[in-house]
Amino acid sequence: MADLRIDLAGIKSPNPFWLASAPPTNSGYQVQRAFEAGWGGAVWKTLGDPILNVSSRFAAVSFNGQRVAGFNNIELITDRPLEVNLKEIYETKKRFPDHAIIASLMVEPKQEKWHEIVKRVEDVGVDGLELNFGCPHGMAERGMGSASGQVPELVEKQTYWVKEAAKTPVIVKLTPNITDITVTAEAATRGGADAISMINTINSLAGVDLDTWNTVPHVAGKGAHGGYCGPAVKPIALNMVAECARNPLINVPISGIGGISNWQDAAEFILMGATGVQVCTAAMHHGFSIVEDMIDGLGNYLDDKGIASVMDLVGRSVSRYSNWGDLDLNYKIVAEINNDVCINCNKCHIACEDTSHQCIDLYTEDGRPMLKVREEDCVGCNLCSIVCPAEGAITMVERPSTVPPMTWNERQTLISSLSK
Amino acid sequence: MSEHQQSTEEIKKVDQYLDSGFKIKYVYENLSGMFVEFARQEEVILMQILTADARKYFSAKLQEQTLLQ
Repeated sequence: MADLRIDLAGIKSPNPFWLASAPPTNSGYQVQRAFEAGWGGAVWKTLGDPILNVSSRFAAVSFNGQRVAGFNNIELITDRPLEVNLKEIYETKKRFPDHAIIASLMVEPKQEKWHEIVKRVEDVGVDGLELNFGCPHGMAERGMGSASGQVPELVEKQTYWVKEAAKTPVIVKLTPNITDITVTAEAATRGGADAISMINTINSLAGVDLDTWNTVPHVAGKGAHGGYCGPAVKPIALNMVAECARNPLINVPISGIGGISNWQDAAEFILMGATGVQVCTAAMHHGFSIVEDMIDGLGNYLDDKGIASVMDLVGRSVSRYSNWGDLDLNYKIVAEINNDVCINCNKCHIACEDTSHQCIDLYTEDGRPMLKVREEDCVGCNLCSIVCPAEGAITMVERPSTVPPMTWNERQTLISSLSK
Repeated sequence: MSEHQQSTEEIKKVDQYLDSGFKIKYVYENLSGMFVEFARQEEVILMQILTADARKYFSAKLQEQTLLQ
């Protein structure tokens, strides 16, 4: 089987699957069980001044029978004293020397605070540090977490302070609650980060109870915004990873986080530039054993592709991610309907007729209902194939263009040369 | 008239002007679409191109003309 070992900014682990800093990595008991199950690394639940939590902390969004399509939490960082965590980190590292243990850290934005915690944590043998500039709730109200992570100057300065004291690699974990994550990623890089990780959770309110009018979750009838994660956030996270990966000013490895639930998700993040991935919600939903399928699946995928090491997969799709203005305006695809597979639910016709370009005709042939795409009116939007429930009934096929490729940017340059 | 028919007619018209010796002189775009001035010696024709496909086609023709110059 392919070599799944990774080296992320000098942090080595037997596979790219790490548990993210979150409830699954709250204690030595949990992390050791995770390593026994096969996880390659764990980012310990964020260490800092021990906090107080509320009761009723999680909520999930289910969609059409899919449990935990999205997950919301208002839990804060560790509520255990630093000494307790450090003792368990030491014991865990001793028992699993080849697994990666990264300490997630969050303190006030003061140089001496960062220096103190870095020194104490590194003394017990962690493999790296992850600076939590991402948690959007609770700690942000106290000037930490995403409140720090939304200010590029604070990201840069705090990273710099940590690097002054750190002997192990420093990963900066970024918040998605910002217009352009590359700005804070660049700031982290300028501050000397050895790697970045993304995304932390997204500001969210999971719902409102229609009977009681309470928020979901609520604490004695009151709610506060939480952090959203799980499968629903994967596309947002993947884009942010890709945007950072293709930015030449962000030349550090990326640890991908956000809705990763299986080996396919992991492979997508790796292709888009992540050296490894971190998982939380899927483990909370299904338990630590999901990593077995992740390891098998990724290994088999690499074998099928003839790739010897997962490190050789990193970033292979980044060059395919571009700006809209650099896409070929003359590339053409159209929908093709296979009436032998079609179940005549007409969802494609309805979708196209009501919300797209009205190019799917209904007709009958020998008394049998049929559907046909008028190719000349099809814009290749994909909607019909997206809503189609019958696998293989609708295929999007390429049609040769009569004119050469041209991007919007090329077109605008051309036109501006002849504009009044 | 369907949009496809409309764009086919606009494309045909662009081809007719170019085939009969007109050159693209000026191009400008605004909320109403694309406006093109075709010139052949002293003769100038203004054409409004409305459809997206014809505007794409015209862009290809403009590229052709630019490459030939």
